[in-house]
Amino acid sequence: MSLIATTNDLLRTRHPERLVESLPTRQLILLLIVAGFAYGAIMGSYTLRPLQALFSGTKVPILLTASSIVCLPSFFVINTLLGLRDDFPVVFRALISTQLTMAIVLVSLAPFTAFAYLSVEDYNFAKVFNGIMFLVASLAGHVQLGRVYEPLIQRDPRHRIGRRAWLTLYIVVTIQLAWMLRPFVGAPGMPTAFFRDGVWDNAYVVVINEVWNLFTR
Amino acid sequence: MPTRALVIGGLVLGCIYGVFMGLYGATRPDTSSFLQLLATTLKVPLLFLLTLCVTFPSLYVFSALAGSRLKFEQTLRLLLAAVAINLALLASLGPVVGFFTLSTQSYPFMIVLNVIMLGFSGLWGLIFLRRALVHVFAPKEPDAPVTLDIAVDGSDIAPVEGPVKGQEGSSDDGSADVTVPLVGAPAIPILPGASPYARSLRRDRPEEPGLLVFRGWLVVYGVVGAQMGWVLRPFIGSPDLPFTWFREREGNFLQGLFDAIASLFS
Repeated sequence: MSLIATTNDLLRTRHPERLVESLPTRQLILLLIVAGFAYGAIMGSYTLRPLQALFSGTKVPILLTASSIVCLPSFFVINTLLGLRDDFPVVFRALISTQLTMAIVLVSLAPFTAFAYLSVEDYNFAKVFNGIMFLVASLAGHVQLGRVYEPLIQRDPRHRIGRRAWLTLYIVVTIQLAWMLRPFVGAPGMPTAFFRDGVWDNAYVVVINEVWNLFTR
Repeated sequence: MPTRALVIGGLVLGCIYGVFMGLYGATRPDTSSFLQLLATTLKVPLLFLLTLCVTFPSLYVFSALAGSRLKFEQTLRLLLAAVAINLALLASLGPVVGFFTLSTQSYPFMIVLNVIMLGFSGLWGLIFLRRALVHVFAPKEPDAPVTLDIAVDGSDIAPVEGPVKGQEGSSDDGSADVTVPLVGAPAIPILPGASPYARSLRRDRPEEPGLLVFRGWLVVYGVVGAQMGWVLRPFIGSPDLPFTWFREREGNFLQGLFDAIASLFS
């Protein structure tokens, strides 16, 4: 029950960084894993293969945490160079609350995903629909991050640069990570798998190649 | 009214309309099926229940994020009340549908008629919800100071409040005192109508995001409800097809509705 209470507090607080500080770390990790797994399991149930649902459920919490972990060191150095190191603990907690908000919003959107799978039997539609759900969740997380950053920026405009740096880093890394962690939905014709072949491919190179092929064919 | 009464009442009202809606399947000349009557009776309340199940979690999460004052239970009860009103009106339209069922053989006509009934009562439910929401999100009593949550330095300094008497009747809506305490800064008293900032403050009302979320949700609810009806079909039961609990996954609600309207005119 305390997980639900934590969820409620996280959604309603206007100072997520203080809430994150007051909660036990184990509780935060548990919430992220439970919420991420729940959405992932629904996401991976497109072909009704339990193993794929389990794989996708495992991968969403990884997606929500790993890119932040990769970006944190450079973000810390950027903050230090900007002379904002004193605020870093606050910003760090704000980032945790952002990822948690994303996970919570994703769970609340899971019924839509299940209903979309039920209504439309089209793999591409399923992919795009999940993309939209992740976009909505990211925007909600962004709003939560903004709540912490707004007063910080008012006090020191250099925080604006810090926030932009974080967003740029995070988006660039997350896109590649999401590509590596494919498949999330599970194409009907493809075997159930934790990773697709070519896991070490580069998302950006793939896109550039696609665009290149489009013009040279 | 307790939550359980709202749910049970809603289910019963849904079943009443379901009986009238399923009557067509039971009175078809060649392929009459009482199973269709039973199925429809169960499916109408299910339609509303499932639509709420799909749309409620995200509504609650987003309204909480947007700073809605309503607690989980309150939000749920508000929506249940709106659905109950929708179903009460729908059940009252049941005899009309029953009358047309007994006097009409046209299947496309019955589809369009039922869509109109469901749409009409749904609209009323949403109008009720909107009115309730405007009430819920309306600014509180005029004497309450409007608190803008601007933390200047992110520290825990208590807000300084200093209500200042306003000139009564000087503003359009008759609100009197508005004080904006800034956290960590001296309170800035604002007389209604005295400064352009006060006017802009009232125009974009700080508590509006919650209302905005609900408005967006009304659209989502309508779309999901319509598509849910399509997923749960058949409700009426085509005279050319044998009884089935559910049909194949294909098409969507709008496509089905347009087909029915087109066949009305052909």
